[in-house]
Amino acid sequence: MKISNKFLFAVFLTGFSIYLVFALNPEGASRILLNLLTFAGIYGLSAIGLNVHFGWTGLLNFGHASFMGVGAYVTLILMPHAAGREGEITSTGLPFIFALIIGILSAALFGLLLGLPAIRLRGDYLAIVTIAAAEIFRLLVRDLESITGGVYGIINYTENLQQYRPNFINNFSESFGFSPSQAWVCLLAWVSIFFTVIFLKRLNNSPWGRALRAVREDEDAVRAMGKNAVWLKLQSFMLGAGIAGLSGVFLAFNYGSLESTVFVPLLTFYVWAIMILGGVGTITGPIFGSIIFWVIISETDRLAFILFENANGQQLAGVRFLLVGLLIMVLMIFRPSGLLGKKEELLLDVK
Amino acid sequence: MLDQLGNGLLLGIIISVASVALSLLYGVTRIVNFAHGEIIALGAIMTLFFSSPVDYRVLFLEKYSPLGYNFALSCILAVFACGLFGALLEICLFRPLRKGNVGNIAVLVVTIGLSIFIRHLYLLFATGKVQDFPLELQRRQTYLFFDMTPRNLNVLIAGIVVMLIFGFLLTYTRLGKAMRAVRDSEELSSVSGINSDNIILITWISSSMLAGLAGIFQAIINDVRWNMGFLILLLIFAGTVLGGIGTSFGAMVGGFLIGILVQVSVGLPFMEGHTEAKNAVALAIMILILLFRPQGIFGQKERIS
Repeated sequence: MKISNKFLFAVFLTGFSIYLVFALNPEGASRILLNLLTFAGIYGLSAIGLNVHFGWTGLLNFGHASFMGVGAYVTLILMPHAAGREGEITSTGLPFIFALIIGILSAALFGLLLGLPAIRLRGDYLAIVTIAAAEIFRLLVRDLESITGGVYGIINYTENLQQYRPNFINNFSESFGFSPSQAWVCLLAWVSIFFTVIFLKRLNNSPWGRALRAVREDEDAVRAMGKNAVWLKLQSFMLGAGIAGLSGVFLAFNYGSLESTVFVPLLTFYVWAIMILGGVGTITGPIFGSIIFWVIISETDRLAFILFENANGQQLAGVRFLLVGLLIMVLMIFRPSGLLGKKEELLLDVK
Repeated sequence: MLDQLGNGLLLGIIISVASVALSLLYGVTRIVNFAHGEIIALGAIMTLFFSSPVDYRVLFLEKYSPLGYNFALSCILAVFACGLFGALLEICLFRPLRKGNVGNIAVLVVTIGLSIFIRHLYLLFATGKVQDFPLELQRRQTYLFFDMTPRNLNVLIAGIVVMLIFGFLLTYTRLGKAMRAVRDSEELSSVSGINSDNIILITWISSSMLAGLAGIFQAIINDVRWNMGFLILLLIFAGTVLGGIGTSFGAMVGGFLIGILVQVSVGLPFMEGHTEAKNAVALAIMILILLFRPQGIFGQKERIS
C-alpha cells in the first residue's frame, strides 16, 4: 500500500497537536488529553457518518445533530433511567446492547424518514430542510417532558454502560489519575471508529460504494446504468444517520446527563468543521480532523484568558465558537478539501 | 386565538422585512445567506450603540463614552451602518469568492462559518446580556380587532410603508430592472452593458439595510440579544420559502403569514401546554411547502430537485 504525502502530513500534524497539549500543560496533560480524545472519538465518529452523506453521496445535511439525538434519546429511554423535573425513575429496561441496537436502528429509520421527502430537493434547499427538521426534533424533545424529561433532561443512566467496564480500565485509570468511566467511553468510541472505518473501507470498494460515488458525480448517468439513484441516496442517508446515532449514544454517556440543548445546530456545525478539516469524501480524514480540532478547541481557553482578564464561562465558549466559525470559513475558502480530501471529488456546486 | 393576532402581526413585520431582504439577495446572487441573522442583529446593536445614554461597551472598545443620539437618528445611522457592513462583506469576501468560481455550496458553508463567527463576536464584544432600547414603557391599546402598544403600531405601519416603497423601486426603476436582469443571467446582463458587480454590490447594500431595519423592529418589539438574528433565521427562511424564493412580494406576504401562524398556533387546542414548540409549526409548514409547492405561493415554477 502506498502511503501518500498528504497522509503523512496529517499524521504528523495530529502527532504535533498532541505534543502541543503536553507542551502547553505541564500539569495534568494526560487528563486533558483523555477528555480531548473522548470528544475527538465521539465527534470523529459522527463526522465519519456525515462524510457518508456529504462526501460520498453529495447530500448537504445540516441536521446531523438530530440523528445523534435520536440515537441517544431512544437508547437512553429504553434503559433504566430517571427523567424530568421530579426525576421520575424508570427502573426496568433493556440491557445496554439491545437498547443501543434499537437506538442505532431508530436513527437510521429517522434518516430514512427525513430522507424520503428531502432527497427530492436540490442541494441548498436540502440544507434548509434538514436544519429545520433538526430544530423541529429538538423543540419536540424539549416539549415532550413526560418522555424525554424536557428541559430537565435524563439522568442516572450511566450505570447501564459502566457495569460492563472491564477491570483493566480501572487499574489503568488509577495509575494515570483518569476518570475510569470516561476512559471506558473513550475506548468504546475509538473501537467503534476502528470497526466503522474497516466496514466503510470495504463498502467503499464494493460495487455499492462505487455506485454511491457515481450518484454524487452524475445522477443521470447512474439512472442510465439501471441503478436506482433515489434508493441509493436513501441507503446513504440511513447508513450515515446510524453512525451518527451511535456517536450520539457515546456523547450522552460522556456527559452523564442528557438534555435537548446538546443538540442545537452548533453541534452540527462542529461536526461539519471536523469533516471539512479532515477531508470531505475520505474515510480516515475525520479521525485526524477531529483530534486536531479538539486540541485547538481545548487550547483556545488560553486565548480567552489573554483577551479577557477573568474570562467567564460565556466568554470561554464565545472564543471557542469564534474559532470554529473562522475555521469553517477559512478552510472552505482556502482549502475545501481539508487534510486528506481530493479537490476533484468535492461537490461544491448546486446540481 | 384572536388575542394573539397583534403579536402575530408584529412577529410578521419583523420576518416579512427580513424575508424581503433575504429573498432579494438570493434572487440576485443565489447565495443562501446564513449570516443574514447577524446583519439583523447588527441593526439592533448599532442602534443601541448610537442611542444608549448609559455607558455601553461595543466592539473592541472597552469603555466608550455614550453617544446618546436622538433615537430616530440612531436608527437611521444604524441602517446605514448595516448597509456599509453589507458592502464590506461583498467587496472583501463574496466578490473574491465569485471571481474565484467558488461553488454555491461552498459559499453556503462559508456563510455558516461567517454567521457563527460574527455572532460570537457580538457575544464577546457587544452584548452578552439582554438589553433594551432607551424607550419609555407604553400601555397596550386595542385597534380594530388586535391590541398592541402605539409604538409597535407605528413600527407595523413603517415596516409596511418601507416594503411597499421598496417593492415599487424594484418593479419600476432601472435599477430594479437591472437587478432582475442579473438574476436571470449574469453573463447576458454584462453583455447588455449592465455592470453586474455594481448591481450585486447595491443588492448587498439594500438587502443589509433592510435586514438592519428588521433588527431594529425586532429590538423595539422585543429586546436586543447577541443571538437575536439566529433565533429567527429559520423563521425567515420559512417566510421566504412560503412566499416563493426570489420574489419580493411573495416574501412580504410569506413573512406575515409565518409570523401570524407562529403566534396564533399558541392558541390551538393541541398546542395547549406546548407553547415552546410554536416555531416547530412554522418549520413544518416550510418543509411541506418545499415538498409540495416548492415555488411557494407567488413564485414561478423552477426545477429545485
